[in-house]
Amino acid sequence: MGAITLENIVKSFGAVEVIRDVSLDIPEGELVVFVGPSGCGKSTLLRLISGLDQPTSGHILIDGKDVTRVSAADRGLAMVFQSYALYPHMSVRQNMAFGLENTRMPKAEIASRIEEAARMLEIGPLLDRRPGQLSGGQRQRVAIGRAIVREPTAFLLDEPLSNLDAELRGTMRAELAALHGRLGKTMIYVTHDQIEAMTMADRIVVLRAGVVEQVDTPLNLFNKPANRFVAGFIGAPRMNFIEAEDGRVMGVRPQHLRLADGGLAVTVDMAENLGAETLIHARTDKDQPILALLPGQLTPTRGENLSLVHDPADEHWFGADGLRL
Amino acid sequence: MIRFLTRRRGATGDGHGWHWTDIATWVWLIGGTILMFGPAVWLVLSSFKTPAGLAEFPPTILPYAQETTMLGDQAKPLFEVTLEDGITVTMAELRRVGIVAQMVPPDQPDAEPLKININDRTPVRQMDFATENYTQPFLQFDFVLFLRNSVYVTVMATIITLLTNSMAAFALSKYEFRGRNAVMLLIVATLMVPLSVILVPLYSVVSAVGLINNLWGVILPTVATPTGVFLLRQYMLTIPDELLEAARMDHASEWQIYWRIVLPLAAPALAVLAIFSVVWRWNDFLWPLVVLSRRELYTLQIGLNSYAGELNVQWHFILAMTVVAMIPVVLVFVFLQRFITAGIAGTGLK
Amino acid sequence: MRPATSAGAVVTAPLRWLARATDVPLSAWQRLTGQRGMIALFLLPNMAIFGIFVLVPLVINLLYSTTGGTEFFLSDRPQVGADHYARLLDCGNYLDPNSCRDDMFWIAVSNTARFVFFQVAVMTLAALITALILNRALPGKGFWRAVFFFPVLLSPVVVGLIWKWILQRQGLANLFMVELGLEPVNWLTDRLWAFVAAVGVSVWAHMGFYTLILLAGLQAIPRDLYEAAEMDGTRPFRVFWRITLPLLMPNLLVVIVLSLIRAVQIFDEAYVLTGGGPGTSTMFMTQYIYEVGFANLLRNPGLAAAASILMACVLIVLTLLQLYLSRRSGAK
Repeated sequence: MGAITLENIVKSFGAVEVIRDVSLDIPEGELVVFVGPSGCGKSTLLRLISGLDQPTSGHILIDGKDVTRVSAADRGLAMVFQSYALYPHMSVRQNMAFGLENTRMPKAEIASRIEEAARMLEIGPLLDRRPGQLSGGQRQRVAIGRAIVREPTAFLLDEPLSNLDAELRGTMRAELAALHGRLGKTMIYVTHDQIEAMTMADRIVVLRAGVVEQVDTPLNLFNKPANRFVAGFIGAPRMNFIEAEDGRVMGVRPQHLRLADGGLAVTVDMAENLGAETLIHARTDKDQPILALLPGQLTPTRGENLSLVHDPADEHWFGADGLRL
Repeated sequence: MIRFLTRRRGATGDGHGWHWTDIATWVWLIGGTILMFGPAVWLVLSSFKTPAGLAEFPPTILPYAQETTMLGDQAKPLFEVTLEDGITVTMAELRRVGIVAQMVPPDQPDAEPLKININDRTPVRQMDFATENYTQPFLQFDFVLFLRNSVYVTVMATIITLLTNSMAAFALSKYEFRGRNAVMLLIVATLMVPLSVILVPLYSVVSAVGLINNLWGVILPTVATPTGVFLLRQYMLTIPDELLEAARMDHASEWQIYWRIVLPLAAPALAVLAIFSVVWRWNDFLWPLVVLSRRELYTLQIGLNSYAGELNVQWHFILAMTVVAMIPVVLVFVFLQRFITAGIAGTGLK
Repeated sequence: MRPATSAGAVVTAPLRWLARATDVPLSAWQRLTGQRGMIALFLLPNMAIFGIFVLVPLVINLLYSTTGGTEFFLSDRPQVGADHYARLLDCGNYLDPNSCRDDMFWIAVSNTARFVFFQVAVMTLAALITALILNRALPGKGFWRAVFFFPVLLSPVVVGLIWKWILQRQGLANLFMVELGLEPVNWLTDRLWAFVAAVGVSVWAHMGFYTLILLAGLQAIPRDLYEAAEMDGTRPFRVFWRITLPLLMPNLLVVIVLSLIRAVQIFDEAYVLTGGGPGTSTMFMTQYIYEVGFANLLRNPGLAAAASILMACVLIVLTLLQLYLSRRSGAK
């Protein structure tokens, strides 16, 4: 249960096409992350799957059944919103019970489901509080709890960690991944943060301007980006692109550069010391910017000339059309 | 001097002593307090005076009544009398002929009455609250009826106002639909149509639907307030759409979203509107005056005005009834003033 | 916490029951008609009432103003074309009501014009001074604000009766006159004084409302502007003219236009206070419409409708001005 298929989905708002012919297969139980720069249509795609918005054309199938015209409530999905969307005038318990009551579920069943979810998420002591009395992390858990009690066929999460501070985001990331392992349900997770995508996903869907650029496992994306956009988007610091004479472009990640004679000659602009590593901002003689992440603590001065080398195996070559060669 | 014209400068206590602007401020504030509260206080004090007390000039501040004593089975008024030998004694008046009164000491009712010039005596008075000013209208006049009509109109109109305005505001704030702007424009336009402009045709419409001389004829035309729709819509726009979407995924129908999500969250705005609606409807005058011509249907305001317009104006009753008409508004003022002033500052509605 | 929530439950329990009872038919309606049907349902009650009691009368008003007779049903009323308007506007000299065919109308118009002028001027000035004073750091700020707001909530009838009682021949006002060694005044039976009383009472009753709007405007002026002016050694009157007044201007304009709109419609408290008298010295437009339309034995609803349409023209101009001003100040 929980396999989701998108067939030729198009969504336009007026004359603007925000999703252009997206097709996608999400197998049961997988944690898929939609990632892309803001405005790429990842949240829109999630809303189309949820049923809150209707596609302009195309079909959405859940477990082989066409649900394109089925209402959001009846698709059997649960959504965790970016703002959490907890009902401020209801207690945590009422928040979790609201959706179940609407389906006229017996009270005892509702209570046991809430109990179970509260235990799993360790929010038992919070059940009688209002959302306003909770911290950001607690609200996040409640929002997830509200999704869990519905026992959905799949979870949809719309940038669920973006309102948390960096430290909390780290812990919640791990917890969410663990939760996915425990529940074994399909999860679709939208984020603009590629670290979240890399650490959590079974597979990542990279989107740009309403088009799927690549779908693959995190490591495959990193090692074999399908095009220049994916190569530049995945991995931090950003991949260096050096234009060759024949119009082709060579990409090499900053981590893969070393200091050695006889390599690429660059002039240092600035160096950022990160402690264990040093990130050097430099320029080639053709004024192309180059980033190099070098081990240890280096202190090159501005204007100093360095020579950088790399393994040929770490090269990525892209054609003039941007596609991987 | 900068302190008078600029803001948030201490009137006192900033170490510079008293400036003329400080004095002007306090004169204005205290004068203002007397001018604003004084008339209402005077009304309340006057309402406890007997007709004789009200007719006095110059009037006393507090209500006084002449003391009486029981002589036989009759109450006789008491006076301080200055006798020819200069001694002052308290005596009761038996009867009065012209400027001469026949008086006896109250403890010797059967004594030979003395003939006293009325200029040689002053009435013995004590503070006395004429509560019959309040009890009599309730017992004898239609006052209870008026009060009941007013309460009925106010409560019904407020409930319907809250319900219909909030439903319309919900539709206008949370749904995209064709014609939404047209509906908004229509409602804006009504701001330009005060009652006095449509008085005559409104009367004919209300009479066509058979609601002349009916309290519902007073209630219905007032409930679709554009200000109410505006106030609520403005507030509902601040409720995040994600909450509604979450509810939709939670199997809530649109009606449930309105009832269980949006209405509870709009409670502060609803409270402000409720307060205003109560004050508006309680105070309405012109429209009920037009619609209601049968005395038993009069609201308090119309009833009061009709008493005041009678040939023989009974001020002692009118003043007391005016106080009663003022009570709900004063209660609202005392308990909810903060709410109202914040509401006005925020929305400019009245 | 606990008792409060259970008390709340007592209040909400019937509401909840009502919600459940209404949900079944309304959910069925939603299934049947979809979201559009629900939107219509939400709008229907308000718009129906609004249509019947505001829009329809608005249209009928035009028809009324072109028909004659004393009947209220349109079908019973003969066409008279623009006769009512011609009658109202037929004047030898517009500044002299006696030269007009409908002298009462022009008396009402000129009374209203004078009332609007004096009432708005006095009230705006009083509200401005009060707002400036309330904006200072006073002990008990909330109390003082409440003081000036108090009369706003009183009903016009109560206001009228309170002042009628104070201004009567043997009332409190004349007590003060006597105490000050002056002659008592026939406040409500002298033509001039009755008009002054109508203006004064109206200012008394409504000033607090406009004070609040101005106060809100004053409090929105950033404090650092004053501090900067003080650092520059700006003289206080200059601060007022160059900083406070320009920044308060949007609110001041809204106050002036809003009070103009209200003043044009003056009726309730003046009617209770003076009944339009003595003579016609305090008869205003709305009272004219009311009396010609209803109270008069020789009532003429068509004429009243025509007069109300002329008044509406003034109000529409003022309202558009207000919408324009508040939009402009809102945009800032």
